[in-house]
Amino acid sequence: MSHYLITFLSALSDAGSLFVAAAGLTLVFGALRIINIAHGSFYAYGAFGATTLVGGLAAGSGRFWLALLAVPLAVACLGAAVEVTVLRRVYSRDHLAQLVVTYALFLIFGDLALRLWGSQSRSVPVPSPFAGSVTIGGGQFPEYDLFVIGAAVAVGLALWALLQRTPLGWRIRAAVEDRELLASAGTNVPLLFTTVFTIGAMLAGLAGVLAAPLESVSPGLDASIIISAFIVSVIGGLGSVAGAAIGAIVIALFNTAGVLWAPSWQPAFIYLAMIAVLAVRPWGLLGAAER
Amino acid sequence: MDTMHRWAKRGLMRRFVAPAVAVCAAVVGVGCSSSAPSSSPGPSTGSSTGAPVTIGVATTLSGAFAAYGIGGLDGIKLAVQDINSHGGLLGRQIHVATGDDQVDPAIGETVTRNLILNDHVAALFGSVSSAVGAAQEQLAGQYKVPIFFHLANDVGLTTTTFNKYAFEFSPNTDMEPASAALYYAREIGHGPVRIATITPDYSFGLDTVKAFLADLKKDGVTYTVTDQQTPALGASSFTAQIAAILATNPQYVFAGQYGADLVTLTKQGLGLGLFSKAKVGGMYDLQVLQALGAQAPAGAIAWDRAPFWTDNSSVMKSFVASYKSVYHGYPSEFAIIGYSAVQAWAWAVKQAGSFDGGKVSAALGGATVATIRGNITIRACDHQAEVNEEVGTIASAPDPTYGVTLWGSDVLDAQSSQIIEPCS
Amino acid sequence: MTPVTAKGRPVVRALAGHALIATALIVAVLAVAPAVLSVTALLNVQSAIGLALFACATNLLIGYGGLVSFGQGAFYGIGAYVVALAWLHLHASFWISFACAPVVGAAAALAAGLLALRTRRLYFALLTVAVSQLLYVVVQQLQFAGGANGVFGAMLPGFLTSSDNAYWFTLAVTVVGLLALWQVTRSPFGLTLRAIRENRERAEALGVNVFRHQLLAFVISGAFCALAGALFVVYDQSANPDLLNWTESGYPIFMAVIGGQFTFLGPALGALVYEQARDVLLVNFTDSQLVFGGVLLVIMLAAPDGLVGLLGRGGRELVARR
Repeated sequence: MSHYLITFLSALSDAGSLFVAAAGLTLVFGALRIINIAHGSFYAYGAFGATTLVGGLAAGSGRFWLALLAVPLAVACLGAAVEVTVLRRVYSRDHLAQLVVTYALFLIFGDLALRLWGSQSRSVPVPSPFAGSVTIGGGQFPEYDLFVIGAAVAVGLALWALLQRTPLGWRIRAAVEDRELLASAGTNVPLLFTTVFTIGAMLAGLAGVLAAPLESVSPGLDASIIISAFIVSVIGGLGSVAGAAIGAIVIALFNTAGVLWAPSWQPAFIYLAMIAVLAVRPWGLLGAAER
Repeated sequence: MDTMHRWAKRGLMRRFVAPAVAVCAAVVGVGCSSSAPSSSPGPSTGSSTGAPVTIGVATTLSGAFAAYGIGGLDGIKLAVQDINSHGGLLGRQIHVATGDDQVDPAIGETVTRNLILNDHVAALFGSVSSAVGAAQEQLAGQYKVPIFFHLANDVGLTTTTFNKYAFEFSPNTDMEPASAALYYAREIGHGPVRIATITPDYSFGLDTVKAFLADLKKDGVTYTVTDQQTPALGASSFTAQIAAILATNPQYVFAGQYGADLVTLTKQGLGLGLFSKAKVGGMYDLQVLQALGAQAPAGAIAWDRAPFWTDNSSVMKSFVASYKSVYHGYPSEFAIIGYSAVQAWAWAVKQAGSFDGGKVSAALGGATVATIRGNITIRACDHQAEVNEEVGTIASAPDPTYGVTLWGSDVLDAQSSQIIEPCS
Repeated sequence: MTPVTAKGRPVVRALAGHALIATALIVAVLAVAPAVLSVTALLNVQSAIGLALFACATNLLIGYGGLVSFGQGAFYGIGAYVVALAWLHLHASFWISFACAPVVGAAAALAAGLLALRTRRLYFALLTVAVSQLLYVVVQQLQFAGGANGVFGAMLPGFLTSSDNAYWFTLAVTVVGLLALWQVTRSPFGLTLRAIRENRERAEALGVNVFRHQLLAFVISGAFCALAGALFVVYDQSANPDLLNWTESGYPIFMAVIGGQFTFLGPALGALVYEQARDVLLVNFTDSQLVFGGVLLVIMLAAPDGLVGLLGRGGRELVARR
């Protein structure tokens, strides 16, 4: 019995991680209509940045919390730079051109990461207030995973507040609905786009920092997260942050169920789910009908 | 012809003729840049003093396994540097040419073939992945260039796809689990015990677990397998699998994960209490332990193909010092094995008095060579190096000399005679 | 003044001579390559030729049909696996299984197209990725397909073990394949496809069955991609799951984009350039990904119509009209 509870909580923690990683991707797509493959690079830079900042210092040093604040901001700056110098030139092009451009950036950033951080696995110790485990039922569950669930909820609420309650959020939602109308209403659309992209990059960096204590930080992190974030966004509906939350939970539950019942076929289930959603309801569970 | 005709004609010309011309130019360009003066393989037979000889390292230098490939390459480069500083080999300096296979067999083949035919390498040092390795082995046999495997260790390389130009310097996929089984058996006694396994879902992982369980039985241990998990290679979350294993209450756990996967598995396992509920074993080598740092699970069983800290010979100590002065870090097992492979090749060249692939291979098969790992015998029947594997338990505090948590002092030096399968 | 239409007869007839000469020239140059090039260079060109077929077949969908499929690698891999598995399990004649590869590819494309073409544009691309990835993951679990390692061995007939023969065979198949694709693009079907790409609603209003046209394009592309996959077996004597991965599907897209999506032979040029560049990169640069990414970025930003666009400024006028 406790086993199922632990498993369920693990799935929630995975979902939380996935949600924060996918939220930026889906937000950027909704407003800018760009699928940013380099989003995976931002995530990886967030995680690697955390390993640099925390270094070999022990769990109690508080450095992790500093990283949680500083690294996403740094990644946000990188995102802004990318948007202004490269992406602005491809907004008018077709989807394929945009995909190829962001993929080229993904390759470049990936190689730079290898230069900056080397090829060895790195790890960040679990930060000190949450370094222990709680006993639930008969089993043990890490406190940090509970923190991640909480952090994901906080990020979700913050995004909801941003989108629903602030002028910026209103403009972002308007951009998702109808770009041209927004421009003719006098909004500085290029500035808006830069802002949204920067927020997306920041979310990716944040997700990376949050994930650093949970897994090894090594080359290939960018590729693996972009696929997961992608699938989550598609299932939830590209452009919908709430959809990303639902998608993350669906995928995490699928993964867990797959492990318990048919482990070898687990990756296949995910793609089947993605195909099912795309075939029946392409705009995802919570996306707006037909783009 | 009026303006519109002229325009249309030009447009259609551009559409077809321009690309056609470009295609021709590209082909010519390919020809000019790739053609070598001679396409025959083998080292250029320059005069005995002067013309350098090249060796080729075709391995994984990017992506998730880059750390292994680069580590091995570093060991090889150091060996070459040492040989060169002592006057070279047969009076000739050695150059190292590299190629990145990106863990893709087709790319690995292209890269290897280029090294053989364009760089005329006298010897090859192979890939991380055994699938790529098998393709490389076939090329080496075709072009008669000795190939040394210091990373890929699938037993198929010395059996199903074997040819006389291939040499395996790591303990193979039979030997490694056999050594782990010996240690487990020593810990457990006769049992009965409850064991769970977790391993990456591909041939290496699955074969390792199968071999381990079979060897455990041969070592006289009675056990029940309570759960077997096979997550995908490179998965970012093992929490579901760990929780499932814990639910079955095993006393021992065998993990086939390595590298980044083992780091992730360990961190998540610690959080879920895996290491306090069961005794876990995995390939806790230098890189994994460095990554884990203070989170290294004290008391867990660990095995490694060439852990330098368990070897107190003066040869190894001076190697570690020299490696540290060049690379500012400690050598992984792959650097050590790579270095020893170069040493073996150099010895065989001196024995044969030539760089010719056939002669070198013939000289090395069945021979015993002095290396930084001590004297290594290369079995004549399948060119498997009769090497040991070390198994121990992780210490509870960082090693004062090296600053990293390594192993405790109770180390099992599993002899090759104990773990190797007899020649068929 | 005689109006010039897409089928401007007087103009085309006048140019037919030029186009034929140009084609004959290319084929002649390529045919004598074995006499001039070293073994590695020849293999390089052989691989590039096969990839040119792959890229042009993909471009039928992307450039002509406006359907961005990120999953053509699935058909490429299927083609390779058909030949490899027929050799492994059925001990079939190579020639028969080679001929079967495009048929199987077409059948698979039919099935995939029936599913994928229910969606539009971006979602279509995502669906093709998902289907291709599903196949990639499933094949690795199948023992009879060699699992994660795939199938490799001496599967070529004696005639093709000579590198010259293998090269000419690849060249011949590719030339025939490209000719067939060229005919498809120039046929009424091809023109309708382009019309659909330009303005789907208008085509529908004119009574065109859009779904059927797109499905046929998908099937044709799938068949030729599978043929290219069978040519891969001639080059590499193996089939492995990586061929089905989305990154493999990316290659023909890059080649089409680099070479020029809006011309017929652009992707072929892109294939040649890409192969040669990658070869150079892998051996000489430790930062091959950085260089490749950089080059791709520069081309995308500075030369939107690919290399062909750079070569022929007049081509850009034509491009703008298309």
